[in-house]
Formats: sequence, structure tokens, C-alpha cells
Amino acid sequence: MTSIGTGYDLANSIFSPDGRNFQVEYASKAVENSGTSVGICCKDGVVLATEKVVNSKLLVPGKNKRIQSIDRHIGVVYSGLIPDGRHFVNRGREEARSFRSLYKEPIGLKGLIDRLGYYVQAYTCYNSVRPFGINAIVGGVDSEGSHLYMVEPSGTYWGYYGTATGKGRQTARAELEKLDLPNISAKDAVKEAARIIYMAHEDNKDKDFELEVSWVSQSETKGVHQLVPKELFDEAVKYAEEEQDSDDDDDDDEGSENSDQDEEME
Amino acid sequence: MIVFDINNYDNDVTTFSPTGRIFQVEYALEAIKQGSAAVGLVSKTHVVLVALKRNAEELGSYQKKVIKIDEHMGVALAGLAPDARVLSNFLRQQAMTSKMVFNRPLNMAKAVYSIADKAQENTQSAGGRPYGVGLLVAGVDETGPHLYEFQPSGSVLEYFGAAIGARSQAARTFLEDKFKEFPDASRDKLIEYGLTALRDTLAQDKELNLHNTTVAVVGKDEPFTVYDDEDVEKYLGMLDSLTNKRHRDEGEGEGEGEGESEGEGGEGAEATGAAETTDAAETTDAAETTETTQVTTDTMDTD
Amino acid sequence: MNHDPLHWGRPSEREYGSYDYEIANASNVAPEATKNSQNEFPTMHTQQPMITGASVVAVKFNDGVVMATDKLGSYGSLLRLDNLERMVQVGDSTVVGVSGDISDFQHLERLLDGLVVEDNYDMEQSNLKASHVHEYLRRVFYNRRSKMNPLWNACVVAGFDEDGEILLKYVNLLGVSYSSPSIATGFGAYMGVPLLRQRVDSEEDVKNLNKEDAIKLIKDCMKVLFYRDARSWDKYDLCVITKSDKKIEFQKGLQLEGLKWKFAKDISGYGLPQK
Repeated sequence: MTSIGTGYDLANSIFSPDGRNFQVEYASKAVENSGTSVGICCKDGVVLATEKVVNSKLLVPGKNKRIQSIDRHIGVVYSGLIPDGRHFVNRGREEARSFRSLYKEPIGLKGLIDRLGYYVQAYTCYNSVRPFGINAIVGGVDSEGSHLYMVEPSGTYWGYYGTATGKGRQTARAELEKLDLPNISAKDAVKEAARIIYMAHEDNKDKDFELEVSWVSQSETKGVHQLVPKELFDEAVKYAEEEQDSDDDDDDDEGSENSDQDEEME
Repeated sequence: MIVFDINNYDNDVTTFSPTGRIFQVEYALEAIKQGSAAVGLVSKTHVVLVALKRNAEELGSYQKKVIKIDEHMGVALAGLAPDARVLSNFLRQQAMTSKMVFNRPLNMAKAVYSIADKAQENTQSAGGRPYGVGLLVAGVDETGPHLYEFQPSGSVLEYFGAAIGARSQAARTFLEDKFKEFPDASRDKLIEYGLTALRDTLAQDKELNLHNTTVAVVGKDEPFTVYDDEDVEKYLGMLDSLTNKRHRDEGEGEGEGEGESEGEGGEGAEATGAAETTDAAETTDAAETTETTQVTTDTMDTD
Repeated sequence: MNHDPLHWGRPSEREYGSYDYEIANASNVAPEATKNSQNEFPTMHTQQPMITGASVVAVKFNDGVVMATDKLGSYGSLLRLDNLERMVQVGDSTVVGVSGDISDFQHLERLLDGLVVEDNYDMEQSNLKASHVHEYLRRVFYNRRSKMNPLWNACVVAGFDEDGEILLKYVNLLGVSYSSPSIATGFGAYMGVPLLRQRVDSEEDVKNLNKEDAIKLIKDCMKVLFYRDARSWDKYDLCVITKSDKKIEFQKGLQLEGLKWKFAKDISGYGLPQK
């Protein structure tokens, strides 16, 4: 990294002579080594999933939830610095609340992500603050259908049919591209999300993990963002494990080639 | 203006290192290890906090390690005690607000995340510093007993058992070994586990006594209560020894074999001996009690 | 008090000085904002409800609560709105029936909806029980009345408390609240409660009233209220909360049945002619 030692990377809100904002780039580095998160747009909703890295066996399984709601109809999952993610979600909730109190109706996804984009961007502009160390995947349904966005530390956001972030993002994205998005059912999307998280975990194999999946769908949850019910969750995990076993059998070599490629793409 | 090496990523909290780390926050986490140890554990009915108190000088008082928040909640701290006071004061306000507005005790998750979010603010903007204290938050709410570990980074995690502060790794090792027993453990057994874990953090020349040990318990039908001084005596009495196991294990090989054969061979004799020691314990003072219990343990210390 | 028929009800001039007719023109804008416009008169807030909903009636029975509200919104004596729903479900354990000002009711609805949204943030087990909703409303009402700017309502809160037990409580615009096995607001407090208390006077009596009889009792109250309260109506909603199956069920848009108006032609003045 050529930036180190030049001094242009020591404070936020500073451009280097070639026009880069290093602190924002470093914030992204915080994301790149954390657990993988994915978001999938399905036929009438959105599915979010994350790989929760378990650092101690003393942690209570099934607690320490990482997927959060911004409003009834909007969910968020993020990779990176978890406390930053909570800050981001709290801001989202404030925006959703203020929209509700002004307009007496739930905020649209487009409107919300626009406001959150502004907020995250502001944290790249001043040397009194640092950028958010997260990539946040925000998904939900509103009067105009289902939407999925991902916000980056720079404040940039894009809309997606499927997206992934965190350590296993390359593997996950490659798998997402193979799916017929957004035409799969919500239930299938849950199973695929589980499979993809299990697959992406291969990049982080030395650590234990816990899967967390949520969904918001017009048909399945009446447009309310919820964690997926236990039966479906178990089914998805079973599917993910089976798929993984069959993968392990036939394409062991391919896997390593892929990861080489990933490195180059960085 | 900049006194430090110009090329440092650890001067303030608003600077990421090239690998995406925030050194100032990591240093704040180090501050926790400067404090004496605290251990917490949960069963299905109770949460227990135990902590080792320090006194700055012989004639000074011992630093408070456990702070009650509400009838159903309390914290143990390691690190900068004044920071812990600020945070627990905030928690108390939250608890009172919950009582005032909804007439319900403050939810545990809500409580810990409220201080987590507060701590996060100090890691993202200049003009302050991160908190320099770690907390074990114990409490019971409508979903049962809970134990959380709070860190200055704004991270909060729920554990079966947790330990923070100096040499806490030793306690954690014990907890990891025994945590499967916790859920069904009785209140007193849980305290015993806690004190045993705490004992493992002791330096060689130290021992648990009624002045430096704090025990706190909260349960479904038991308000958060802190036991200090004379009140911890009975709990210390539950331990086989008051000094660190590593210390005792020196020259393990011989001692162990002897102990075993002795224990098995003289079971009948031991029974009468045990009765004697308990009788004696009741009449003698605390220091002697601990001594006598220690004698019995040395023979039992086989696992 | 002034007993002059033309100034009846006003503070007597002798004791309080002459009546300040500015009172009628008092503004609800905070005094600071109008300082320059020479209007030094104290701020005035809501003095009366505008569009109103009539009684809420509710009674406990051996396995829950029945509550009813009619669907009318009156603008003074004008039948202004004919399809109001004045009972709202809050989360999965609470129903709030509201009488009084309808716009204030809608404001309460939003506050309560905010509570539900917040309760669902962590997507875990709900922790918003009827007892919590009641305490919250009590605080809101008392705060507002202490600012001399009340929300003009009387509410009945019914549902399950934190122990899963049935709760039935009242709270009104003053922050006054109480619990009773039979509760009614508005005119219902005068003409419904005596009927309810014939069957359920104390918690003891609750055991002897089954669901069907409770529904019938509430329907009778609604009927009597429709006969007697000119601001009530014969279309109403009914809510039944049952403890055994932890259910909250609504029957919406019901019509009062078996009304008999024969007696009405004999009524003149304040009641039936005295023999």
C-alpha cells in the first residue's frame, strides 16, 4: 500500500495528491475480514442472512442477534464493526420514526436508503469523526415492491437483486449470480441464503459460526421483517449442510483455484 | 502540535489503521486488564457475580467492584471505576424510566445495548475518549436470567459465564471447562463455581479472604444482593482452598498419588475427622475456618 | 359565581373583577411567539373535543373480557362519521377502547403504534403487555393535562398482563385511572355500569359469568345506550379477549337487534309521564 508513510492517510476528510480518501478505504478493510452477510431479493420480498463468527464457547447460542429491524417492513444486516452497525441502525430507526410522524405512513426503502446514504457520507467529511466501518445491507418491502440496497463506508449505495459482503463475499457473489433472481420464492431464497453462508464460511473455516436468517415478504410475513421460523431455519440448515457435503466430494480442487482468482480481483 | 510520531495510527479514535483497526479502542480494551478480576455466571434461575477487590494501601478501603442498578440488575466492573460509575448511573436512569413509563423492570438486552450504543459514540468522534472499563451485567428479566459482557468498543455479548480484568484468562479456562454444569446448578453451587474461577486468577502470594472478595447474586425470586466482608464468609467456606490451584499443584506428581490413596484408605477415619473440623469451624474465627477447610481439601484435591 | 341569568356560571364580578372577553380569543400559540403582537394573554389549549366518539363498555367474564364501542363520530349533535373503529389492538396482548375526541384518539393510535414498532425491533419475544400499555397511557394523559393541554379521551385498556392474567383498566384525560371488573366511559358510566354491576359487582362475580352471557350483557348495554344516549348509534364493534386460548377476536360492524321503539311515543320531557 503506497499510502502508508505519506501522512495523507492519517486523518479522515483528507484527499491524497491522487484524489483518494484513504481513511474511507481503511474503513472498508474493517469489513473485509468480518463474517459474511448476504441479501437476496426474491419474488415478493427480501431475505437477509449472516455468518456470526463464534469466538468463545461460553457465548449463549441463538442470542446476540445481529440482524435488526429499522421499521416493521425493513431489515438490516451488516458486516464490519458491529457497534458501528448498531449506530447505523439506530439512525435508520430515527429516520423511519420521523418520517412516520410527519407523513403518517411507513417510509419507503428508496427514501430511507437515501437518508442513510447522506448520513454515512457525512462521516467521511470531517476530521472530528471517522467513517462507518461497515457495509450494511438494507432490505424490505414497501408500496412499490421489494428492494435491496447495500451502503458502503463512503456513503455510496447501490440497489441489488443479490449482494454479499464480508470475508466470503467473492464466493457468495459468485453463487448469487447463479440464482434466478429475483424470481425465486421467499422460501427458496432462505434456503439459498443458508447454503451461500455455509459455503462462504469455507473462507473462514478455522472458526465456528452461527447462521442467522431473516425475511420480509408480502406472502410469507405480510410485509413484516422477522427472523425465519424455526422449522424453515432448520430445513435451510439441513439443505445447506447437504449441499456442502456434496460439494466437498466433487470439487475440492476447484475451490482453491477460485480463491486464487479472488485474491487477484481485490 | 503533534507530540507523537507523525506516522502513527493510534493517536486518536477517529483514525483507522491500514488494516481497518482502531488502535485507540483496542488500547481502551487494555485498560480493563489493569483492573482486578471479576467473574460472572448464569444458571436457569440465578446470575452470580464475584470479584476481587483491591485496596490501594494497607489503611485504605477496598475499591467497590459491584454496583447495584435495580432490584433485578447489577454490574461488576474491571478497569476505570469512575467510568463504570457514569455508565451504571446511566443504567439506573434507564431502569427508573422504564419503571416510570411502563411500570416494568428494564429489559436486560435493552439495558446493555443502551450503554453499548453510548460507548460506540465515543469510538467514532473526537473530543472524548472511549470508556476504559469492562462490565459484567447480571440480571433477571421477563425472559429469565442473563449475563452480558460490555466492552468500551460498544460490543455487548451474552454469555453462560464470563471473566474480565487481570489474569481473567485463568478464570475463563475454568468456566469453559465447567459451563455445561451451570444451567442446572443451584444458587450456592453457582457461587462456588464463581469463586473457584476467581481463585484461579489470583497471584501466587494472594488468597481470597472476606475483605477482598465480593459476591453478588440475583435470581428470579431474589433481588440483586451484594455480599461483602462478613457476609462472604459462608461462601468462602464452600471452597476447598482459598489460594490459586496452580500454586498448590506444584510438585503435582507425588501429591496427587498420595492424596488418592489416603482418601480411599481412610474413609471411615475421615468421616469422623470431617465432623470434628466442622464443629471446630463453628466456634473459631474465619481465618481458622479457612485453614481447616484447606487441610481437608488437600487430600480431596484429586480431580 | 354569578347568578344573573345572562352571565350565569361566570366568576362573580365582585370577587374576581369584570369578565375578560379576551378569553374567548385566547390563542394556542406559545406566549413568546406572540410577544411583539401585544397579545400578552395566557395561552389557551383545547377547551372541548371536536368530533367525538361515545361510550366504551367492557366487562370481565370467567375467561376474559368483552368490550364494545359504537361506530359513530359526532360533530356536536351532527352525525358526522359512520364507520369509526374505536378499539385498537396494540401488539398481541392488548386492546384499547377509546372515547372522546377522535383526532386525539388518532394521535394515541400513532403513539401506541410506535410502541409496537419499538417492541418488535429486536424481533424477539414481545414485552408489551396490557399493564405496560395502560401505564404508558396514564403517563401520556397526566403529562398532557399537567401542561394544561389534555388529550380529550377516556380509555379502557383490556388484555393480558405480564403474568398472562386478564387486565381491565380505565384511564382518562386527567390521568385518573382505576381497575374494575366492569368499566364504561362516557354515558356508559351512568347507564351501562349499573347494568354491568347487576351481574358483575366484584371480582368474585366474574367467575359466575360465562362468555356468551358477557357478550349478551354488553349488547344489552349498547342497546340501552342507543335508546338513551343521543350521541350513540346502533352499529358497533365487539371485541372478545379469552384467556384459555390467549386470543383477541373482533366482530366488526355489528347491528343492534331487537330494538323496540313503541315506548318512545309516550316519552316527553325527561322521561315517561308520571302516572
